[in-house]
Amino acid sequence: MAERSGFHALAVEAGELAGFAGRFFRNAFHARFEWRELVRQAAINGYQSLPLVGITAFIMGLVLTVQSRPTLARFGAESMLPAMVAISVVREIAPVITALICAGKIGSSMGAELGSMKVTEQIDAMEVSGTNPFRYLAVTRIWSTTLMLPVLVVLADAIAIWASWVGVNIRDTVSWPLFYRQVFDSLEYGDFLPAFAKSYLFGFAIGVVGCFKGFTTAKGTEGVGRSAHTAVVVASLLIFILDLIAVQITDLLGLT
Amino acid sequence: MAATDTPPVAERVIAVRDLQVAFGTNKVLRGFDLDLYRGENVMVLGKSGSGKSVLIKCIVRLLSPDAGRIEVLGQDVLALDQEQLDHLRVRIGFLFQSSALYDSMTVQENLEFPLRRHWLATSRAATEALVDEVLTAVGLAHTRAMYPSELSGGMKRRIGLARTLILKPEIVLYDEPTTGLDPITGREIVELILQLQRQYNTSSIIISHDLNVAKLAANRIALLHEGRNRVEGSYTDFLASNDPVVKEFFIFM
Repeated sequence: MAERSGFHALAVEAGELAGFAGRFFRNAFHARFEWRELVRQAAINGYQSLPLVGITAFIMGLVLTVQSRPTLARFGAESMLPAMVAISVVREIAPVITALICAGKIGSSMGAELGSMKVTEQIDAMEVSGTNPFRYLAVTRIWSTTLMLPVLVVLADAIAIWASWVGVNIRDTVSWPLFYRQVFDSLEYGDFLPAFAKSYLFGFAIGVVGCFKGFTTAKGTEGVGRSAHTAVVVASLLIFILDLIAVQITDLLGLT
Repeated sequence: MAATDTPPVAERVIAVRDLQVAFGTNKVLRGFDLDLYRGENVMVLGKSGSGKSVLIKCIVRLLSPDAGRIEVLGQDVLALDQEQLDHLRVRIGFLFQSSALYDSMTVQENLEFPLRRHWLATSRAATEALVDEVLTAVGLAHTRAMYPSELSGGMKRRIGLARTLILKPEIVLYDEPTTGLDPITGREIVELILQLQRQYNTSSIIISHDLNVAKLAANRIALLHEGRNRVEGSYTDFLASNDPVVKEFFIFM
């Protein structure tokens, strides 16, 4: 493939990525579904991401609480702390931070793993044995990230809110039932549902980009490295773009 | 061991006509023709980078040619849809130069992989039996639980061969089966290829620049030079040839 540059390259890449996503939808509900591989990928991409996501969510909840307190205290609105933290965590911080963490962890591993398989002809070997490597490798991975990311986001929500309670209790004493009530009095379905919906999109973006980069790896070992890092960069960027679009849609629907 | 006697007139299993492939401005194949008959071993001889691998990758449509016709087992390869192509591919084995074993799976899982995907083995016992059979055939029954990274180059090639044969293909395409192996191991692989060909009754195209392969395994040799099938003949024909390009290959003999 000839080296392209600038805007043209970007447009071509975006087109190819869209084509790859289209190919996913054509194969996503195929009768010969690789259930075992889906479960294995869900465990790798979901369950094994939990410690990292959990620690990040805990720190984000705690730090956000500690940092916001002085400002709220200046207005005598310290009692709003649980509500404020909960809303910002649920609406934005948990989905985006979780997605970015996963883009880094899952995107790079997919880009590198599939990229290595590509350059060592393992993907070709699957293809010539008459099995569809796209269905076995890509469809299962994309499904796994799409389905697991919302689960991780909900867990991150819960952990960050609990961490916020810990943060409040560094200086004050607030019981967990009271904190919990304050949080859930302030949260509405309109806060939770759009965030939940967009985390499916984030998961899908991570899976598609990781697999696309892996499948299109060229030029040996260096190409594998490039696939791994561009998968992270493109997936992260796409997460922000999707976030931007999602916020406009929820705004138009009057959910803000 | 030498397979020099040409088999009687047999069914044609592969016909390649006027195959043209270019990468950018680099025209690799410029109208290549080749026939393969049932039960025959054809070797395609050529220098590195002459487009030998490109040829067999076109036959299984890993690469799409720019022009030409490829017929395999009576089907026009370039006109098949994905489903039909996958069915045809089961009947064609392909041994990669790098062996291309799935390195995150054990030998056993490598061998089971194509079986599972095609529902060819109906039970656990049937799968086991097939795995046993091919592993014994390549003489590596003890490697079942090993990972590809624990195997030597020659062993990888054998397992690659076993994985190809487990689907009982009618045609096997070998991409440089002896390259990167020491002469003794290379010779063992050639002998294994011949033994398996008799056992499984396959027809094959062997891509190589190894004259041992030419001498021991090929019923017919085709010389790929500058993108075309320059000359065809048996090993003895090639030895006696006056063609300067053929002579270049045999200069060290």
